Amino acid sequence: MVLQVTKTNNANYQTVISVGIDIGTTTTQIVVSRITIMNTAPGSSVPRMEITDKEVLYRSQIYFTPLKDHHIIDADAVAQIVLREYRVAGLTPEQVDTGAVIVTGETAKKENAKKIAESMAGLAGDFVVATAGVNLESVLAGKGSGAAAHSRDKHCITLNIDVGGGTSNIAVFKNGQVIETACINIGGHLIEVERQGDMITYIAEPARAILRECGLSWQVGDRPGLDEFISAARLMAKSIIESITSGDISPITGELLMTPPLKLDYRVDSIMFSGGVADMIYGDSRPVSVSQISEYGDIGPLLGWAVRDELAAAGIVPEKPGETIRATVIGAGAHSVDISGSTITVDEAALPIRNVTVVSPFVKGVPEAGGEITAAVHLAAQRIISDGSAQYVAFAMDGPAEISFAAVQELAQGIAQGAADFISKDKPLIVVVEKDCAKILGQCLKIILGEKGEIVCIDQVVVGEGDYIDIGKPIMGGRVVPVVVKTLVFENTATRKD
Amino acid sequence: MNLKANISNKVFAFDNVKEVLAKANEEKSGDMLAGIGAASASERVAAKLVLSNLTLEDIYNNPVVPYDDDEVTRVIYDGLNTTVYNRIKNWTVGELREYILDSDTDDGRLKQLGRGLTSEMIAAVAKLMSNMDLVYAAKKIINQAHCNTTIGVPGTLAFRNQPNHPTDSIDGIMASAKEGLSFGSGDAVIGINPVEDNVETVARILTTVKEFMEKWKIPTQNCVLAHITTQMKAVEKGAPADLLFQSVAGSQSANDAFGVTAVMLEEAYELAKVKGTGTGPNLLYFETGQGAEISLDCHHGVDEMTMEARTYGFARKFSPFMVNNVSGFIGPETIYDGREVIRADLEDLFMGKLHGLPMGIAPCYTNHMKADQNDQEIGTMLCAMAGSNYFMGVPGGDDIMLSYQDTSYHDDASVREILGLKPLPEFEKWLEDMGIIENGRLAKRAGDPSIFDK
Amino acid sequence: MAAESQMEQLIVENVMKELAKRGLTGNVSPNQEETTKKAARPQPKSEPYRESGDDPLTIPEITGIWVPNPENIEAIKVMKQATPARIGLYRAGARPKTGAMLKFMADHAQAMDAVFLDVSEEFLQRMNLFLVDTMAQDKEEFLKRPELGRKLSPEGERIIKEKCEKNPQVQIIVVDGLSSSSIEANVPDVLPALTQGLTAAGIRVGTPFFIRNGRVGVQDHVGKVLNAEVVVSLIGERPGLVTADSMSAYIIYSPNEKTVEADRTVFSNIHRGGTPPAEAGAHLVDVLKRILKAKASGMKLNQ
Repeated sequence: MVLQVTKTNNANYQTVISVGIDIGTTTTQIVVSRITIMNTAPGSSVPRMEITDKEVLYRSQIYFTPLKDHHIIDADAVAQIVLREYRVAGLTPEQVDTGAVIVTGETAKKENAKKIAESMAGLAGDFVVATAGVNLESVLAGKGSGAAAHSRDKHCITLNIDVGGGTSNIAVFKNGQVIETACINIGGHLIEVERQGDMITYIAEPARAILRECGLSWQVGDRPGLDEFISAARLMAKSIIESITSGDISPITGELLMTPPLKLDYRVDSIMFSGGVADMIYGDSRPVSVSQISEYGDIGPLLGWAVRDELAAAGIVPEKPGETIRATVIGAGAHSVDISGSTITVDEAALPIRNVTVVSPFVKGVPEAGGEITAAVHLAAQRIISDGSAQYVAFAMDGPAEISFAAVQELAQGIAQGAADFISKDKPLIVVVEKDCAKILGQCLKIILGEKGEIVCIDQVVVGEGDYIDIGKPIMGGRVVPVVVKTLVFENTATRKD
Repeated sequence: MNLKANISNKVFAFDNVKEVLAKANEEKSGDMLAGIGAASASERVAAKLVLSNLTLEDIYNNPVVPYDDDEVTRVIYDGLNTTVYNRIKNWTVGELREYILDSDTDDGRLKQLGRGLTSEMIAAVAKLMSNMDLVYAAKKIINQAHCNTTIGVPGTLAFRNQPNHPTDSIDGIMASAKEGLSFGSGDAVIGINPVEDNVETVARILTTVKEFMEKWKIPTQNCVLAHITTQMKAVEKGAPADLLFQSVAGSQSANDAFGVTAVMLEEAYELAKVKGTGTGPNLLYFETGQGAEISLDCHHGVDEMTMEARTYGFARKFSPFMVNNVSGFIGPETIYDGREVIRADLEDLFMGKLHGLPMGIAPCYTNHMKADQNDQEIGTMLCAMAGSNYFMGVPGGDDIMLSYQDTSYHDDASVREILGLKPLPEFEKWLEDMGIIENGRLAKRAGDPSIFDK
Repeated sequence: MAAESQMEQLIVENVMKELAKRGLTGNVSPNQEETTKKAARPQPKSEPYRESGDDPLTIPEITGIWVPNPENIEAIKVMKQATPARIGLYRAGARPKTGAMLKFMADHAQAMDAVFLDVSEEFLQRMNLFLVDTMAQDKEEFLKRPELGRKLSPEGERIIKEKCEKNPQVQIIVVDGLSSSSIEANVPDVLPALTQGLTAAGIRVGTPFFIRNGRVGVQDHVGKVLNAEVVVSLIGERPGLVTADSMSAYIIYSPNEKTVEADRTVFSNIHRGGTPPAEAGAHLVDVLKRILKAKASGMKLNQ
């Protein structure tokens, strides 16, 4: 099959091609989607660009994630998958406008995870970004499964849990917006079994806790009976159910949670399961032998069955999502990119910029006095400079309490003075405001800075301290820029439960 | 033809029928803007006196815009029933008034009479009628039409659910549409004025509304009030439209300004028959209003009420499902205050009905007019008494897209209850099944737009 | 029959007793009257009005959901986010609830005041704008005779010839149009943003001033009198009930006898709830740069 990559491009209507690549614990997948951006404001108004449609054009076959060993991802093999799928789809990296590579689950813990994500992003297209982090995974899976849309269409609270090979990622949506996320280190590929056989070939670290709790002392090479397999899977399933329902959290569940547990101080209307294990949850066959369940080389199918039983015991009837095993990759492909507000100030030459570290100088909103603004911005800039880790920094804020010309002028003065040490020819001043005021703020900043440096001032993007953003070249006749807000939390560098 | 009259020892002489018609008009700011209105109360009465003595033949022989110059005049004259006209051409306008008001003149006779009257004659007689005369006469005439459902059934009052949105947001439109339906509004049509006049927007709105109608089995019609050529393109591409809409006016030059001709409307009708989703035979929806020609400077020195009558003469050729009058929408330069708009609404309702049209009225006002909610409510109640087929239904009376005030969903339900009028039969059944009305009144669930989001 | 007349008797007796209680019939002893009055009848307070110290009342907000026990309150919340229309406010019988009625009246009052009141002198002084009139003498004439608002009065023409810089690249005029309140609400942010941006770009900006009872077309007259390359009108839009403060910017390149409406570039919906005025000012700078470069506005600019 060859993909018909048709694109339309004018100042009021544009389609962009977005690619998603998910390198997960068990599987690696690619999707290609087309995102439509339109000017939805009446002709006589200042333009307002919005994403009006997302359509998945191509789904790759599902590959086992190639690993060199249990610590290293096989970079060459992953690259081969990407190239092969591009060839099959009839797609070239030049045709790809945006997208995201996400390394998920246990794979995010591999030594070369970060490098792989970045190199695949470079391979996949000019503005395809590298991302990672369990909360981001949870959100993308929930968007890709259709849970977010379900909550919006039905005006309800929908919980999505993506049970993958290494982790189960939970996101709760209310009216289409994410309200909470969590992640538990349980998945179908934590214990690997000889395909169509019954010998254990690998036990990942988190699974040891489960086995310890079950009183099982399996080692690689053992051939346990079906009953033992079932008891391990049942305990995993119990933990999964505990993590998505209110009630006491057992010590083992607490131990496996990679994030604080969900607060759940609200009523959940629907629960959806996505991820590779989900199809077993919605199916109705039962295991009779170990060799029957090990067709994927792991205990995934067994975990699915166990979850189904535990749900029934808890009286929960899950809703079936639109996407199961492809939820995360569709999330990465179609739901990772957003666009800025439509009145912004950017020096095009400065774009695209990747991996911009976000700092929030103002804890409680923008202060009124210019001096206080300067001090806060200076402090934030100093923190970054002294740290030395960040190449690019964006100052994020909600904007002046009231968007008056005087207040914006004051803010511009404060930022320019506070960030003075940070601005140079090759480092643009990047400001991200929530309120619709980037055009005037940018104008004021430009006048103050003159030739001292380039400016990227965008609005209607919500980011916080600790986020990273990538900002693309302007589209829609130069009116908006694509923005990917992401986290870059690779498990081998991050501390748990932060 | 005697064009002179003596009022309180002052003689007023008029040059021609057109001038008499203009000066016999009740005061309207548009006639003053055009410089053709009566200069004093005495002159107005003098013109009415002269008008009452003109024969219908005098008016026939003096169309306000010449036949050869104007398509609207040609449509009016070519469609006239000459048998009826020949029988009554010697009547004076004063006699015509009395015949219309006569107790023995019923709906059937009035319908027949209307076929033999030109629009100028209908305007002329309305100028000799007080507000109560207009209500009294209009009430007698029952004009029904059928698209998917029948409108104008005696004892019913229907509404256009008008859920406009300032950016054509589908979610915003559907939110207001649901609110309206929960008040029992929408049996005439669910009709949206789009901000953007393009095929894509029109098709998107038509499709969404149609799908909603089908999902909830709502017996009504859908319509998007873009320019008719845009709607036609959308229908050609497969968009589901029950009714095709167009604004029309009373002179060819004004219709040119609207970008519409008789041929175009005939094509639209044919297209609606062949590709539309409406059952018919009535498949068009027109909007009109006094003052349109004056504000477009296409009035030929003719007063705005006579121009409005001519609009109806043009419209009746196309057998529309509904004609809606929005005289209060145009602005203070044509209708200045509440008094003028109430008068215009009653004139228009009577004139439209005598033309045989299934008339509805939008007793509306803009914020730069000297009018308020009380004026609008008086106009609404009077038009309901005069047998308007339908009104508009706007959330809270505030059209957030067109920035004017029109009858609200609340007003719609209120008028039905005040006058004991019912929704159109199929729609009433649907409302009862939905638990929105019960025994002719709003039931508990009425006013809850989320009954469609169970 | 007997039962019926008995019932009638009873009703009459009760009515008479009730009337007696209220002191409406004569045959009640004064003593009895006194006691019943004290016991049953609320006494009107005849205290003089005193400052209570309470805050003044404000018009109720209609952002809430007033439907009792709705099927799906989340759905209504989302609906209300999707549209500024007056929905989810329920009813009293078939009529609007009191709060909704008062809010409607207040919004209409604001809209009427926006149209019928003038921009204040204090405002013009603060903005350093001098005032000129059009041919329309007052608001009524302005509303009834649109053509008069498209031309400066002879006095107005004389004043601008005297006070304004000639041959500017961009002439900014502030025109009340159909909303004086939109001028007071938006001009303080649009005007400095616009002037700052144009000046920074090295564009020669003329002397701004205010036109009372003006319509869009008056910019053609101003452009011709001052020989401006481009005229920008900041003009009040016809108010709606959602906001009475919406302003538009109309831009014409080199207006002349052949100018038609399609030659104008327009941006509407400038107000705090639409495009924020300061942001709109900066946006207009970009548009004006484009117009000066293309030497055209309106449809000709988009071609």
